[in-house]
Amino acid sequence: MAYAYLFKYIIIGDTGVGKSCLLLQFTDKRFQPVHDLTIGVEFGARMITIDGKQIKLQIWDTAGQESFRSITRSYYRGAAGALLVYDITRRDTFNHLTTWLEDARQHSNSNMVIMLIGNKSDLESRREVKKEEGEAFAREHGLIFMETSAKTASNVEEAFINTAKEIYEKIQEGVFDINNEANGIKIGPQHATTNSTLSGSQGGQQAGGGCC
Amino acid sequence: RNKAKVDTYGFEKPEGYESYEEMMAQYVAVLTRQSVKWSKLLQGKVHVENNLKVKRYVRKGVPNEYRAQIWMAASGAQEHLEKNPGYYHSLLGTEQQHDAKLEETDIPQNVQFRKSSEPCLQKALYNVLLAYGHHNQVVGYCQGMNFIAGYLIIITKDEEKSFWLMDALLGRILPVNYYSPAMLGLKTDQEVLGELVRVKAPAVWQTMVQHNVMWTLVVSQWFICLYIDVLPVETVLRIWDCLFYEGSKILFRVALTLIRHHQAEILQARSMVEVCECFKLITQGAFTYDCHTFMQEIFREPGSLSMATITKLRETYRERIVAEETRLCP
Repeated sequence: MAYAYLFKYIIIGDTGVGKSCLLLQFTDKRFQPVHDLTIGVEFGARMITIDGKQIKLQIWDTAGQESFRSITRSYYRGAAGALLVYDITRRDTFNHLTTWLEDARQHSNSNMVIMLIGNKSDLESRREVKKEEGEAFAREHGLIFMETSAKTASNVEEAFINTAKEIYEKIQEGVFDINNEANGIKIGPQHATTNSTLSGSQGGQQAGGGCC
Repeated sequence: RNKAKVDTYGFEKPEGYESYEEMMAQYVAVLTRQSVKWSKLLQGKVHVENNLKVKRYVRKGVPNEYRAQIWMAASGAQEHLEKNPGYYHSLLGTEQQHDAKLEETDIPQNVQFRKSSEPCLQKALYNVLLAYGHHNQVVGYCQGMNFIAGYLIIITKDEEKSFWLMDALLGRILPVNYYSPAMLGLKTDQEVLGELVRVKAPAVWQTMVQHNVMWTLVVSQWFICLYIDVLPVETVLRIWDCLFYEGSKILFRVALTLIRHHQAEILQARSMVEVCECFKLITQGAFTYDCHTFMQEIFREPGSLSMATITKLRETYRERIVAEETRLCP
């Protein structure tokens, strides 16, 4: 299907916080309570619409365990957005955010949009991290913030879409060089046909090969 | 508890299981023949010799009733178990736990035995992982080890034996640092595979370069899980027969066979994601279900592959990766 842009996302965070479940809820609109551990990387994709334009999200879901960090690092390359996920019922997953953030900032391009997500908001009775704490952390580090529930689907759409909106705005502002794929953005065929003068020959060429 | 829904090992039957059962109906004859041969060969002995005849037997498959014994003997796990009586249980003792680095919480809560019908297996899995984490504190617990321990428990039905087989695999059979934090051994093997593909399936290598696909994207699960959850159970066990007897070289034979056999499909991929999806698909289907033919293929399809070559490539790529990582994070 034709799209104007393709954005590459990466989902990161401790093991068991619900990264794969968030992805599954967003791409398939379902929840799987017992999910196989992610080894290496899994992919998901979905089309969304922003400002009347079709945008394809290509989402890389990573293994959360510490040991895999050295491998996960190589996936940041060329990501336009990152969802940094913690579990509101497990304090330690919140405490590890700084390390994740350092890793993300060090190995990605400086314009990558990071969305902080406190997942499992349906488990209010087991909450260990207050919403205000998540908000404060996000404010301090310049991130967008949301609490979600992959189980009830609450805010899941919003989390993925708001991140895309932020990336889209950055493109409009000219912050991203959209002709450099290292930024995690690809111009699609739709864009090339409706706006061929803007994207030029290079964009058109990329669209021909970019059919994932 | 519905027996019709689970296979011999207690796993839920996957889709397309009918073709697997058809294969198994014929495979039973092979197993029976092998079983007779093995019983003659062993004649009640615990130890297995290292010779061409045994090697040929192992490649043709170890019957399940002898599997634990052969794995234990061939890998040296039996010897370690006998030399260290009580060691396994001491690792689980309370004193050890206090000064050990591995806390109980390091093994994630979502590590669970899929054979939920037998709750005692969950405890066994947990014990083996905990003991191993105490035994090898550099590695501790790494995702993927759960699958390996699980299979060992199913085959040996014994915690202590599973522990020593785990020790043999991670400590001696696989290169060092497969599961330790920097995963240098694993990264090295992925690059070694890349180089072998460049030589033995150049067109595939070209495709990988063209779409900028890192080897880690497509084969990390193959190596980390030693093909568990990648290939069908029976096929994995046959691969492990050779892994315990002949060593880690077998992992490359399997990978190269999958890649070469499905070369045409891989070359069709038009983007990075399509390449990744293709690498998932090529592990499924009749080719991998038919474990007996598959095992014959892995010794034919990739051609010659000497341990000396692998060792040399491992040295070269390890050095390269270390140099590259030092350059990036001095």
